[in-house]
Amino acid sequence: MKPRTGIVVAGRVLLGAGLVGLWTLAHRLLGDQFVAGLDDIAARLWEIGASGVLVRDIGVTLLEAGIGMVVGGAAGFALPFLIARVPGLEVALRPFIAAAMGVPKLALAPLLILWFGIGLLSKVVFVALVVFFLLFFSTLAGIRSADGRLLAVARVLGLHELMLLREVMLPTTLPFVFASLKVALPRAISAAVVAEFVAADTGLGSYIQNAMSQADTVGVFTGVIVVTVVVVVVNAVLDRTQKRAMSWRHSAIGGF
Amino acid sequence: MLKPVSDIAPDRAEPLLEVRDLARTFGARDGRAAGLNVIEGLSLAVTEGEFVTVAGPSGSGKSTLLNMIAQTDRPTAGTIRLRGKTIMDASTSTLTPGWHCQIGYVTQEDNLLPWRRLEENILLPLRAQRRLDDAARARAAALIDTAGLAGFERFYPHELSGGMRKRASLVRTLAYDPPVILMDEPFGALDAQTRTELHADLLRLWSLRRKTIIFVTHDITEAIALGDRVLVLSRAPARVIDEFRVDLPRPRDIDGLIAAPGFARLYESIRQALARQAPRRA
Amino acid sequence: MRIAVQRIVILAVILASWQGASLWFGAQWIPAPVATARALWLQVQNGELWYHARFTLSAAVIGFLIGGIPGAVLPFLIRRLATLRAILDPYLIAGYGAPKVALTPLFILWFGIGLESKVALVASVVFFLVFFITLAGLDSVDQKLIAAARVFGAGPALIAREIIWPGAIPYVFTGLRVAAPYAIGTAVVGELISSNRGLGYSIQAAATNFEPAKLFVGVVALAGIVLILNAVLDFCEKRLLSWRPTGGIAERAQTSF
Repeated sequence: MKPRTGIVVAGRVLLGAGLVGLWTLAHRLLGDQFVAGLDDIAARLWEIGASGVLVRDIGVTLLEAGIGMVVGGAAGFALPFLIARVPGLEVALRPFIAAAMGVPKLALAPLLILWFGIGLLSKVVFVALVVFFLLFFSTLAGIRSADGRLLAVARVLGLHELMLLREVMLPTTLPFVFASLKVALPRAISAAVVAEFVAADTGLGSYIQNAMSQADTVGVFTGVIVVTVVVVVVNAVLDRTQKRAMSWRHSAIGGF
Repeated sequence: MLKPVSDIAPDRAEPLLEVRDLARTFGARDGRAAGLNVIEGLSLAVTEGEFVTVAGPSGSGKSTLLNMIAQTDRPTAGTIRLRGKTIMDASTSTLTPGWHCQIGYVTQEDNLLPWRRLEENILLPLRAQRRLDDAARARAAALIDTAGLAGFERFYPHELSGGMRKRASLVRTLAYDPPVILMDEPFGALDAQTRTELHADLLRLWSLRRKTIIFVTHDITEAIALGDRVLVLSRAPARVIDEFRVDLPRPRDIDGLIAAPGFARLYESIRQALARQAPRRA
Repeated sequence: MRIAVQRIVILAVILASWQGASLWFGAQWIPAPVATARALWLQVQNGELWYHARFTLSAAVIGFLIGGIPGAVLPFLIRRLATLRAILDPYLIAGYGAPKVALTPLFILWFGIGLESKVALVASVVFFLVFFITLAGLDSVDQKLIAAARVFGAGPALIAREIIWPGAIPYVFTGLRVAAPYAIGTAVVGELISSNRGLGYSIQAAATNFEPAKLFVGVVALAGIVLILNAVLDFCEKRLLSWRPTGGIAERAQTSF
């Protein structure tokens, strides 16, 4: 039943080669302005790598994503606990939370740029907003999932508020928080790039947007590839970290 | 309706199902250096129409034993024979779950399909075996009636009580009539009252057609109430360490069982046999 | 009753702070609630809102269908083809992980600034979401049900039809549900970046023309659309999956197999 490794590797290589072939073919057939050639992209990468533009733009985008992530993440994690401290508040807030959830956050980019200018601040606020909502909802879900009986037992045992938080609330909430952090980081990068599309003078999104407005297909392809690689690498690193952190979990025996 | 079969002597001639020197080791992994021996050198034999209960401490590999007889798991050593034919040994390469519908398995969980109504669930094995004709339907309907499930045919599993789901899972297996039926603590998670009702139901259903049953439990009362014979398992690695014949007459009155002559003595003997399994220190 | 009162109070607080912020920062930055409502009414009356919303909805719906249908069907087809799955795996994961909204310029380059580029963008987002959630559903179908069915003589075809498919349907639904708001959001991003119609375009145009009231209207309209969409999907899900218990956790005892 298990697929043979040799066949799988061969298949993957073949498929990869096929995709590259398809790309080259598309480049030949459709022409430079639709599909950039691989050699042109490589040359461009070399060029912006040497001139420092590549590192600067990646740096700017990651900085925006990073600060926004920290600010939005901290707020999104803390607020649900504050709400949970006021009995009944969460229930009262539900329709408003649902409405807030309904707003496509990415549509707010123009508004934030209007308010905070085209510089770093608007991007950070935008990323923070996107991350805030992700964290807020999952932390809230985690708190809601905290077992009522477990909480009751803990109270009976005489745990005071702070211990309750540490011994019961945090352990039940943390898996939700970690799961959403994992979703949030690539999202944060995307958000920064989208905000840069709308208005910016540095960053990967701005690089792509400039290339597009100058009909520089090679530039668009190069920028898009760099963004994709950055996100995929970040994802892979997160996956690796998570697997290591969670390794204690697999210990069941038997079963089918 | 089906007629109860009158008495037959359980211990005649050769066994219907025979387990010999069975062993099961779970592989070493996840930091455990050695493998885990769950079963070792376990032998038992069951004759046609016999109701055998297997009592053992928790974690003594009872489920694993039934999994191997039902062929949803593979033994590390030993053989399993049905009517003298080897159906399973360590060299068997492909599992044949249920051995061509000869061995039914009522599991701990009811395993009813949540998206199918009760009646559809019960008829599913017959449909799978392409045996769903009018006679089969009639037999299933009679069983549903006997199990007290009449009127609930159109209910989804989640709309039924735990006891009803257990009955349904029992009827699902009885309806396709496998010669051997394995039961793995099917009434484990129920309250005492419901359990007693289900014991009575099971014995009533069994009396319609005396199937061969291997019933696993950790409850001594249950083991005596249902079985012709009680086998006692040791702690892991499990094997059969003792055997008791239950001479209580059938049909049995489950409610008055504890007062029945001989019950207390039998209970005590089995309890002591189990208690001799001093807890192992790790 | 008390909750209703609390909610009215909260709503009042939100509106009052909105009004306060508008006065404090100036209406040119934050339009007052009343001004926003008036702008909304105006745009509803002159048909401008519907003109843009129709475009966004078309992009979202068409893209949703083009991406969602293969996303839901493909996992069923490749479920048992272990080798093919293993080969495709890294490519699909890369496709899933790729930041699709960041690829918008490529779609615009290929499909122009009209509806097609938004449809393609939405489809690419929806496909991967639905595909992976459905595949996860197929893989997570209760193995005990399958084992129990094998014991009573069910073959692969029956197991697929009776257990795996019905077991995976809720996941297909989850996939579609999760993807639906994304479809709207992605269409809007496409319009923000390059378009001449749609709510995203309307928001972007309002920002460049310095018309915050119009911008707010666009955002409010989007939130309304997503909320209605969610309500509709909730309703469909309840109707189609009637076999599922509503609320409560199905207690599952210690294992048998």
